[in-house]
Amino acid sequence: MTCTLGEVKQRADFIVYWGGNPAECHPRHFTKYTIMQKSKFLPRGRKDRTMVMVDIRETKSAKAANIFLQVKPGKDFELITILRALIKDQQVGDEQIAETGLTREALDDLVQRMKSCKFGCFFFGMGLSMTRGKHMNSAALLTLAAEMNAFTKFVAMPMRGHGNVTGADVIMRWQTGYPFGITFNRGYPRYNPGEFSTVDVLVRGDCDAAFIIGADPGATMPQPAINHLKRIPTICLDPHVTHTSKLARVHITTAAQGISAPGTAYRMDEIPMPLKPALKSPYPTDEEVVRRINEAIAQKPFWLPEGSQPQMISTQV
Amino acid sequence: MTLQIIDNATCTFCGCVCDDIQLHHDEVRIHEAKKACVLGTAYFLNHTAEKKYPDALIDGKEATVEEAVQTAATLLHEADMPLVYGLSNTTCEAQKLCVAMADQLGGLLDSHTSL
Ligand code: SF4
Repeated sequence: MTCTLGEVKQRADFIVYWGGNPAECHPRHFTKYTIMQKSKFLPRGRKDRTMVMVDIRETKSAKAANIFLQVKPGKDFELITILRALIKDQQVGDEQIAETGLTREALDDLVQRMKSCKFGCFFFGMGLSMTRGKHMNSAALLTLAAEMNAFTKFVAMPMRGHGNVTGADVIMRWQTGYPFGITFNRGYPRYNPGEFSTVDVLVRGDCDAAFIIGADPGATMPQPAINHLKRIPTICLDPHVTHTSKLARVHITTAAQGISAPGTAYRMDEIPMPLKPALKSPYPTDEEVVRRINEAIAQKPFWLPEGSQPQMISTQV
Repeated sequence: MTLQIIDNATCTFCGCVCDDIQLHHDEVRIHEAKKACVLGTAYFLNHTAEKKYPDALIDGKEATVEEAVQTAATLLHEADMPLVYGLSNTTCEAQKLCVAMADQLGGLLDSHTSL
């Protein structure tokens, strides 16, 4: 259950940020979309909106909030589950509440505010989806948002990070039916995060070549994964010579998206935005280089025995 | 020298993808990014149209793009289980072609999301 940032801007009078630091990672999220904007339905802007911050430590973002709830690290799932019980007036023991590091009064107050708002929105960040519980946490929060709709309008939206990751999800879903963690090794797409997700593949040493575009795993991945990238032939496309380029067999410099490369990028609420490049780059775009590599690969024999090449995705859409 | 102005340019540094940035540039570098935040301004001002890096590198040595493209295609084609990964700081058009590449290679395809 989600919505666009435009709807949040126009209507959301109750905003919860959970496990993220928008003040420093998405600096204009507050001012452009959420708490600071005035709208037809919320004419007094910030005064008409309530912002709650749930996090394990008091970041800069917490200072912008009306209410800051400091949850104990790794207890997000428990807290969401307690909230799910409380909104339905179910009994919750004191020791369960104490475990999350919060008080019953704070939670009762939160539940009361959640129920009495007109349009509530959860924004959840990596602090929720990448800590103990991982996607179970996100799933629990989405369920809480769905259940809140018995009382009022409530939505949830992930705070997506760098650049066009949202676009990657959307494009992969469109082309293959799955958002990430995909293999084509049977000739059709299969999905299994944990088995086909990159960190796991690299740490286990499953793949025997890597094509890296628009990312720098050489700087962000755990060391065993980087070691495997060093062992296998790695190809890297980037506007800069990055950590990954240094360990790669092949590096190709490309134009930077939105600066000197045209195209489309998705906002975190899955709204596509056209890019308006200001400069002309001396380097080719990612699009052009990938197309040329694809053409060169297509010249070579297909990896399945002759005559058994399935219909390629690119010819279907 | 007068700077050229681009209105409503899009910043792709973070997931907000603000599309109201005003860029002042002289075709080589961007001098000002109005309305952008600190992160966005740094992103716009750090990228220039200058040639700071070699076109391509193969085993650490400078090469032409064509050589690099051919080498990349050979290495990927030779592999039994190639991985196509990343896809965040690039355009949707390039991402679509990356899906086609993984499909053509019978390889793995994954993005930042799985981290
Ligand atoms: S201007 Fe700032 S908030 Fe907007 S997309 Fe760029 S980095 Fe994000």
